[in-house]
Parts: sequence; structure tokens; C-alpha cells
Amino acid sequence: MGRLNFRLTKASFDQNLRFLKRHVCRYAGNVVVSLMMKRRNLIGYLFASPWMVGFLLLIAWPFAASIYWSFCQYDLINPPEWVGTENYRRLMQEFREGRGFAVALQNTAYYALLSVPLSIVVGMGLAVALSWRVRGQAFYRTAFYLPAVIPIVATSVLWMWLLDPQDGMVNYLLSWLGVPGQNWLTQSRSAFSVAGLENAAGWAAGKNQLLLFGSKDALVLMSVWAVGNAMIIFLAAMGDVPESLYEAATIDGAGRFRKFWHVTLPLLSPVILFNLVMGLIKSVQTFTSIYILSEGTGQPGESLLVFSLHLFLSAFSDLEMGYASAMAWVTFVILVVCTLLLFRSSKHWVFYSSQ
Amino acid sequence: MKQLSTIFVLVCLLAIGLFVALQRAHPRVSDRPENAGRSEVVFWHFWGGADRDVVDDVVQRFNASQEQFFVRSIAMPGNNLQAKLFLAIAGGDPPDLVNQDDPIVGDWGWRGIVQPLQDVCSPEELRALDEFLFPAAKQLGSFDETMYAVCNGLDVRALYYNLTALQKHGLQPPRSLEELTEIARIITPPGTLNPETFGYLPDARRLWAWGKVFGGDFFDFETSRVQLTDPAIVAAARWMAGFGNWYGADTINRFRQGDQSLPGKTFPLLPIQDQEVQGRYVMLMDGQWRVRDIDAFIDRRRQQGLAYPEFGVCALPAPAGGRVDAGWVNGNFFLIPKGAKNTPGAVAFMKYWIGLGDPEQAAITCAAGGWIPVSEEVVQTNVFQAFLDERPLFREFVRLAGSQNQTPIPVIPGAPMFKREVEKASATAMAKPDQSTEAILQEANTIIQRRLDKLGRRVGQ
Repeated sequence: MGRLNFRLTKASFDQNLRFLKRHVCRYAGNVVVSLMMKRRNLIGYLFASPWMVGFLLLIAWPFAASIYWSFCQYDLINPPEWVGTENYRRLMQEFREGRGFAVALQNTAYYALLSVPLSIVVGMGLAVALSWRVRGQAFYRTAFYLPAVIPIVATSVLWMWLLDPQDGMVNYLLSWLGVPGQNWLTQSRSAFSVAGLENAAGWAAGKNQLLLFGSKDALVLMSVWAVGNAMIIFLAAMGDVPESLYEAATIDGAGRFRKFWHVTLPLLSPVILFNLVMGLIKSVQTFTSIYILSEGTGQPGESLLVFSLHLFLSAFSDLEMGYASAMAWVTFVILVVCTLLLFRSSKHWVFYSSQ
Repeated sequence: MKQLSTIFVLVCLLAIGLFVALQRAHPRVSDRPENAGRSEVVFWHFWGGADRDVVDDVVQRFNASQEQFFVRSIAMPGNNLQAKLFLAIAGGDPPDLVNQDDPIVGDWGWRGIVQPLQDVCSPEELRALDEFLFPAAKQLGSFDETMYAVCNGLDVRALYYNLTALQKHGLQPPRSLEELTEIARIITPPGTLNPETFGYLPDARRLWAWGKVFGGDFFDFETSRVQLTDPAIVAAARWMAGFGNWYGADTINRFRQGDQSLPGKTFPLLPIQDQEVQGRYVMLMDGQWRVRDIDAFIDRRRQQGLAYPEFGVCALPAPAGGRVDAGWVNGNFFLIPKGAKNTPGAVAFMKYWIGLGDPEQAAITCAAGGWIPVSEEVVQTNVFQAFLDERPLFREFVRLAGSQNQTPIPVIPGAPMFKREVEKASATAMAKPDQSTEAILQEANTIIQRRLDKLGRRVGQ
């Protein structure tokens, strides 16, 4: 019954007819179902197409193209010319000679190493303070979040005024503490550097003025001012900490600090990891404020020449898109390695509530 | 099926909407009755503020004088004109004409980003341009004996001085570099910790000017060698670094930042308070545009019935063996990008602006903007002479514009990098006077030469 019968009898004919009817119907049904599925898929693809087209054109294609360009001499106007690993060798040479790429690496590392942890500490501190139920809590939360929504250009100009060595508010406040006015935006020497420490030692010995903070420190200060985003994430995470844990801690006789240290902090550790990774990526991508503060030059003394600015100047001022692409890829690899290290280390210090 | 049809209709509507919106954003010239029959010249420039009004005025005058072309000017103030231009060229829709003031002519010409004038001008026009322009204006626009840009305004630096303040100290304007150094030392003695006024303080970026004044050349065009270790350049850098030694980098940095924070970026030579005679500097190197600031300051004081100091301008004083009337000149120039569609219109507008064939029109523009003409013919017009009579300080700048010793940053491929590295080396020499100036310049020389050689090798030079 399950197949065609080729004998020339009426019974065979009837059998074959039944077989064909059943299988042809099934086939037709399959075709119809398949068509319906295809239509559904088509609708799905149609809805997803704006994103897919955008992704392919604006992310995937430039991503792939920049790998190729990093092995080329390319000035945006003329066709790329293959130069092999020359751009990467130049990066290595600059790294060895301590200029160009090495300076950018050093400046970016300084900024990231100071601004990211500082933003997390300040963001968490503010979140803790703003979680206390006090009168006007909503107002304070808004006020502290506000700097994060002010456009970066406006913030940068505002900070240029605040950090003015003669009439700026920051130096004025420092003078209350007996600290001499700092050359915030004109000094390449930064606080946490050999030259900075030498200046501090010279001041202690009465040889020179205490001029500790330079342009990179000013940048770190600016980044800390806009910790609103980190603060909001911490606030949300703190709201998820089960009240029962605090009650248990209270019964055990824990005070405010112990509750924070043994309950809040461990449960916030996944959020700290998140802020750490995102902050690291953001700090490497910082561009606008640096471009404004240094008027697009990375000055004074190349102290503001970070990755993003060095890349921009190489690509659009020197027209070395190949070199800039190579730098972008090296930066990407460095970021991936740092992120992986952070994730690897997380098993030692990040705790999830399910654990 | 109904769902599909709905989506299809929505997509079509969206596409039509976008098309209409784009059409409205870029109306065709032929849609405007007043421009009917004229071809459009798209002109990108960076001017803003009061200068933009001057540009709009030139464009209006040109359009009113034309039956063939119509200029549409697009202002792009800020630093993003370059990136937008490259993308426009790469996208196949560049403007017909661009104005620039960075040292990019050699670089862009060599890379084919801009068209050589010989491709868009007739031999007669090229000859006329050659005879018309000041030497400095020709140098600014030429690379490898080919003209790529037409200079439409020169920027010359000279030494401004506050004569009243000098006389108050019992001094006279300097006639030599030694006198300038001595005046600086008397007004602000070395070691002053928080000075309120500097007699003179060199800007690290101006090694380009002082190097020339000392008799040096930054680049040898015959051998294509960078010459930062030319004894005259080293001497100029040492002289500048000497100020770092006198006052200390920290003091200089602090003072410089104070200049930036003056209200409205006031010219720091001018006194701030009503009763003051001197500003933050008694002598200062700057460009011709500061004449307007000084005149506005004097007018204001006159209206308020207050006394005002007397100001003067002189060429940068040279040391023994140095060059007279020397300095660093730059300027604004027109470029016709690769792929420009209306090159005849662009050439017509360039000629109108600089005054080739009608110097009076250029004189009106230069007088309105306080710009230095690019030709002696424009300087000699009645309009411009009347302007010079009104603003006598301007005369010195115009005189210097015609000097053979006023030269730009070498017009070569890689010039933006060359400029940046020289200024960086100069800043380092001033910030670290304990380091050997020669060693700093030698290092910069090696880096620049290496990069230039690499550029040259790529084109098979």
C-alpha cells in the first residue's frame, strides 16, 4: 500500500490512485505550510531589516574594512595601497621610542586608571547617601544626576572656567585650604607621576611652589563630576538587595558600616564589575571633552594626547587612515584583554545573590 | 497578505517622505526664479561671526554682478571642515570651492585631493595670477612649481608695542633683538614669581617666525632635507628657551592660561581696567586682525572721556646676521577639490574675490574685513588707501606682506605633521630649559625627516 504498483490490473490502478492522492495532498500541504512559514519569516526579516541593514553597512562593513586598511597606506581619497605590517611596526617603534602611540597609551592609561575607580567609588558613595530616606530625596537624586545629562561641550567649557588658574572657582576653594592655585589646564605634569612627586618633594623641602595637578588631573576631575549614570545603576541595584538580609544582619548586631561592608557591597559587586567594564571602555573612547580642552591638539606638552585624539588627528589631519586603523585594532585588542582579565578576576570578588 | 501590503505601503510612504524632505533641504537652484539660467557654485568656508557678514557681502556682490554663475556659500565654522570635505570627495559630491588656512596645500595637491590650477585656468589666467600676487601669496599656494591654491588674504605677524607703557619705564621700541630682550628683562625681571605684566614673552608656536628672523630655513627644497639643526634655528630656539629659564615653565603656563580667560579673548596687550596704562604685555607678536581690537579700545576710551595709551607696530627685530622684515606668513586660500563640477564658476569667483581684473572690489572686501590684500594692485586702490589712512597701524603689516623674507611653513606633503612636530619641539625647549635645545631639535628633525622620507618613497620619489 505504501508504494506504486506497476501491474496492469484494476486493483493496481485503484491502489496507485489512492497512493498518489494521499502523497500529492501531503506534498501540496507541505508546500502551502512552507509558503506560510516563508511569509512569516519574510515579515520578520522586513521588520528587522532596518537594523540589519544598519548593522551591515555601519558596523560590520567598517569593522571588516578597517582590518584591511590597517595593512594599507590609505588617505581616504586615493585607493588603499597594501604595505603589509608597516603600520603595526610603526606602532611598535613609537612604543619603543616613547612617543606618538606610546604617549597616547600612557595618557589613556593614566586617565582610565584614575577616573574609572574614582567614578565607581564616588558613584557608589552618592548612591548610598541618596538611598537614605531623607526629606527632599528626589530633589537630591535629580541634582546629582543632572551633570550626566548636560551636553559634554557645555560641561567642558564650564570646567575651563572653573579651572582657570587666576579666577577659577576650584583654585579659589583650594586657597581656603592653603593650597596654592594649580595650573590645571596648562601644565603637562600630572599629580601621580615622577615629575609630580618631585614637585611635591621640592615643595616639602621649600624649594618650589606646590603645583601638583595638571591637565590630565583636570580631566579626571571632570569625569568624576558626571558620575550620575553610575550612581543611578548603583541606586537601582541597592533597591534589589533583599530586606531580609539587612534584618538578619541587624539581629546579628551589625551596625551601618558592617551592613554595608558585608551585605550591600558583596551584592553590588556584579554592578561594580559592570560599571568597571563599561567605564573602562568609555574612558578609552573619551574624545569630545579632550578635544575641547586641548583645542584639538593634545597640548599642553602632549599630556592630553589620548588614543581617540591621536587616532582622529592621524586619520583626518595627517590622512593616515591605515595607521589610524592599526591603532584602533591595537586599542581594541588591549580593551578585550583588559575586559577578559576583569572577568577572570571577577570570580574572586564578584558575588551573585544566588551563590 | 493584508499585513504585507500594509508594510509595503508604509515603506513606500517612508521613502517618499524622505525623498521630499531631502529635496526640501537641498532645493535646486533652478527652483529659485532669481537664479534661473545661472549655474551654481557651491562654496564651503569656515568664517563665522563678523567675518561671515563680510563673506556674505562678497558673495552677494559677486552674484549681483553675474549672469552666468551663482555662488551658494556654506559656512562650516569649527574644525570639522576637513573631515567633511574628505567624505564629500569620497562620496562623489564635493563642493566647487573651499576656503582653508591650514598648511595643507602641498599635502592635498600631492595626494590629488585638490585640482592643480593649470587644469582649470587658462595659461593667460595663470600668467596674470603670477604677476598679480605678492611673493608670499604665491608661495602659499604652490607646490613643486604647480599652483594648487589661490591665496585670498595674507596673515602677517609683527610686534605690537604699548609706547606709553614703554616710555613709562624709560624705554623705546626695540630696533634689534638685543634691545627687545633687554626691554623684556627690565619690565619683568627674571625670577618674578607671579608677574602681572610681561615686557615680552615668546610663544612656543612662533619658532616659525623667529627662526626666519634669525636667518634660518626650516627646509631645503633642493635636497628635501629638514633643517631644524640649522645654527640660526637652534639660536632662535635657544633664545626662546631662555625665557623659560628666566621665569620657569610653571609661571609662564599660568600666565598664558590667564590670557585665554580674558573676557571675549581680549587682546592681552590692552589694559583691562579703566585707569590702567598697560595690559598683560607691553610687547606682543600678533597678526593684523588685532589692529581692529586696538582701534575699538581707543574709540571706547575716547567716548568715555578717558586717557588711552599710544600703540605702535614694528617688524620683528633681528639679531646681528639675521633677516630684516622677516617672519612667518600664512593666509586664507581657495582650493578646487577633486571632482568639483563647476570649475569655471569657481575660478570666476576666486578672481572676483582677490581683485584680479577689478582690484576695487577686493579692496572693499579687505577694508571691510580688516584683511591684507594679496596684491599690490589692491593695496594701491583709493578704497584701501583710505582704509590705511583710517587705521595707520595696518600699514606696517601691508608693507611686510610684500617682503621676500616673509615665508610660510614649507609647502610640502606632510606639512601639517611638520608644523606640529616643530611646535612641539619648541614648546619642549621652552618648558625644559635644562635640556639641550639642540638635542630636542635634532630628535624632532629625525622624526620629521623619517616621516617625510616615507611619504616620498610611497610616490616613488
